[in-house]
Amino acid sequence: MSTVDTAKLGGGAPDRPPPIATVGVIGWLRTNLFGSVVDSILTIVSMVIIYYAFSALLDWAVFNAIWEAENRRECLNINKETGTSGACWAGVIIWFNAIIYGRYPYEEQWRINFAFIVLVLWLAPMWMPRVKEKLVYGLSAVVFYPFLGAALFAGGERGLFLQIMMSAAIVFFVYNCVNALVGLLSGNDLPDTLREKLGIQGKSDKAQRNILLAIAAVAFAVVFALTFTWTVPNVTWTKWGGLFLTLVISGIGITAALPGGIVLALGRRSQLPVIRVISVTFIEVFRSVPLITILFMATTMFPLFLPEGFTLNKLLQVIVAVCLFNACYMAEVVRAGLQAIPKGQYEAADAMGLGYWKMMGLVIMPQALKYMIPNIVGNFIGLLKDTTLVSIIGLFDVLNIIQSAISRDVPWRGLHKEPLFVGALIFFIICFAMSKYSQHLERKLSTDHR
Amino acid sequence: MATMENARGKSGGLGHMLYDERVRNVLYQLITFCTVGFLAYYLFTNTAHNIEARGMSSGFGFITQTAGFDTDFKLIEYTAGQGTYGRIYIVGMLNTLFVSVLAIVFTTIIGFFFGILRLSNNWIVSKLAAGYVEVLRNTPLLMQIIYWYLGVFALLPRPKQSAELIGGSLLNNRGLYMPSPIYGDLFWLTAIAIVAAIVAVVMIRRWAHKRQDLTGQIFPVFWVGLAVLIALPGVVFLITGSPLSWEYPELKGFNYQGGVRLPPAFLAMLVALSIYHSCYIAEMVRAGIQAVHKGQTEASHSLGVRPGRTLQLVIIPQAMRAIVPPMISTWMNVVKNSSLAVAIGYPDIVSVFMQTSLNQSGYAIEIVGMTMLFYMVVSLSISACMNIYNKRVQLKER
Repeated sequence: MSTVDTAKLGGGAPDRPPPIATVGVIGWLRTNLFGSVVDSILTIVSMVIIYYAFSALLDWAVFNAIWEAENRRECLNINKETGTSGACWAGVIIWFNAIIYGRYPYEEQWRINFAFIVLVLWLAPMWMPRVKEKLVYGLSAVVFYPFLGAALFAGGERGLFLQIMMSAAIVFFVYNCVNALVGLLSGNDLPDTLREKLGIQGKSDKAQRNILLAIAAVAFAVVFALTFTWTVPNVTWTKWGGLFLTLVISGIGITAALPGGIVLALGRRSQLPVIRVISVTFIEVFRSVPLITILFMATTMFPLFLPEGFTLNKLLQVIVAVCLFNACYMAEVVRAGLQAIPKGQYEAADAMGLGYWKMMGLVIMPQALKYMIPNIVGNFIGLLKDTTLVSIIGLFDVLNIIQSAISRDVPWRGLHKEPLFVGALIFFIICFAMSKYSQHLERKLSTDHR
Repeated sequence: MATMENARGKSGGLGHMLYDERVRNVLYQLITFCTVGFLAYYLFTNTAHNIEARGMSSGFGFITQTAGFDTDFKLIEYTAGQGTYGRIYIVGMLNTLFVSVLAIVFTTIIGFFFGILRLSNNWIVSKLAAGYVEVLRNTPLLMQIIYWYLGVFALLPRPKQSAELIGGSLLNNRGLYMPSPIYGDLFWLTAIAIVAAIVAVVMIRRWAHKRQDLTGQIFPVFWVGLAVLIALPGVVFLITGSPLSWEYPELKGFNYQGGVRLPPAFLAMLVALSIYHSCYIAEMVRAGIQAVHKGQTEASHSLGVRPGRTLQLVIIPQAMRAIVPPMISTWMNVVKNSSLAVAIGYPDIVSVFMQTSLNQSGYAIEIVGMTMLFYMVVSLSISACMNIYNKRVQLKER
């Protein structure tokens, strides 16, 4: 203030720049690293720690690492000769395919890659701002994709039901892709464009709808007929493994947990005592015990629960257990989201004359979902990490491949650190990316005026 | 109008009764109850049928049967071939609680340390703490446990080349050997003195508070309390003639004898659980302290309270309100996650009871039920404590 005044009054010296110690790189260093004596000491200590940690890590993982070797003995010998300790990546490289695909036959692995690409393409439009009705993409993926996945992953003879659902999935997939493409190019959705191209806008709404439905039915019939004789060799679940199995279990777990969690959370907040008590008991029992006990329960007790002659394989047992377990955690996430909605919203919906399901579906849930997203992603990260527990009961997920398959393979016996490092890295990349994305989403959806 | 409605309501019969909310509520609940009840009945009959068909035995008689296997680590007396399955249950429970309680203590300390580092004004320190949190939080706990077990504690030197630690402890690939205390005849007097000192400190604290309320004078409770805590038991200990000696582990043949042995699996569990959960606590501490409004610090400073006292009297009490509830659920997670010990063979309840005992005796339902019961009791008691705490610290709004 005063400087401006003097400048005006006397035409004296111009404004001097701020002291060099408070701006630019030096200023930043001053305030953030060397603010005081204690600060400076801390900075230097941290730098020393970082230097030693990183140089040791880089020496081990990169500079002294051994990339080519026949077996672990050779790695150890090379290390002894050079007098260094480097990572023996050779074993990991040889086993890398198994870390990703498990014991899935090599020539059939394209199926997994293909299914993964299909899923990415299916869901990609949800991230495109110009595409409308994103819910359709998500819901259709949840409902139909599992059947396509099952047909591809397991292969073998398909039943009629699976054939129908798979054909529907293919039709939906193609529709979604074309719809998104058309939407991106013209801003219209596919049905509108078809109406235009076929020149049927003049007809009544009902006639238009019937024509479109007929097209869909023809497409379905064509796909059904084309794929009817198409089969891929059967790969039993015992060969599934690696990151693929981890993603299958956690993917099914999270998609089944969300609806289950919503139902349980609504039950817990219900006015009706019987429904409330049942929901609370179910949620609290599953939340108070560790996942591993539930997995053990699934493998030992599910065979007893089911009628004679009806058996679930171990993979299905695990998936059911994971879904039940995770639904209870999801229920608490949903409940927290519902509790964050002010009572006025419920009252307003009541005053509008909406019934219970309309109130929940149109007013409460869309708002609550926003609060729930960070926790849902957090839950998914937790589930992904917890999926490693299936290795304890003998499924060959990433950890089991790393821990037992590699270190029990004769040439690589005792190779622990390197595969564990790679496994940890895989999980870190996936989980870190998801948590960063959820933070981004949280900021994007936030409507607080801060 | 009203009469018309009434008339219709009466003459409507069953169809209209469905529009009455009370009727509908009862109906919904009845349907749910019947469905769940039928499901339970269905599962129960299936199970009963299957058990009979497979010739499995059931009931809790197996608890008094002797178990034929030994555990690597136990806190109570148990011998293979003589101890019962019931005893194994207790051994497993105590092992779980032992590692969990120690891990909870360490994880809380480490978590607070990193949480405070995370809040540091020093850019590099806070980033270092953030990196620590992110790396630990985004990798699976089971992987970390196996890393600590196979990558660290299994690679320690053999007993002959043990690393010697302070206080006569030894670390090798058979575990951590520590001297065990041997209590003399009059040691109980020292124990009583310790209790008496604690009681005295609590009373001094109360008195000091009362005096401060009345006169405004501050009494140095911390230093006086520390002096009492050290001096009273110390004097009693010396007067009774130092009735405590240590038994040191000694190398006999290929292994150490004597002292207390903590197996590598225990050490790996303890380290992995403490470090993994500390990153969650660090985040809670950070969030909790950041949640205290800046105005609180400014108000305190404007009242002339020094920064150290501000932290102690204004910030921490308010931050604790946000930190404690999630921290207690992390503690609960520590107890639950200690069940992963089964992967590396630490004899916790899941490992010795739910796995080994179940495989040997075959009483699936009873054993699964008893194990789950244990975890449920622990969880429920911890959440009961949390509810009491929440009631005490809740803001009392007028």
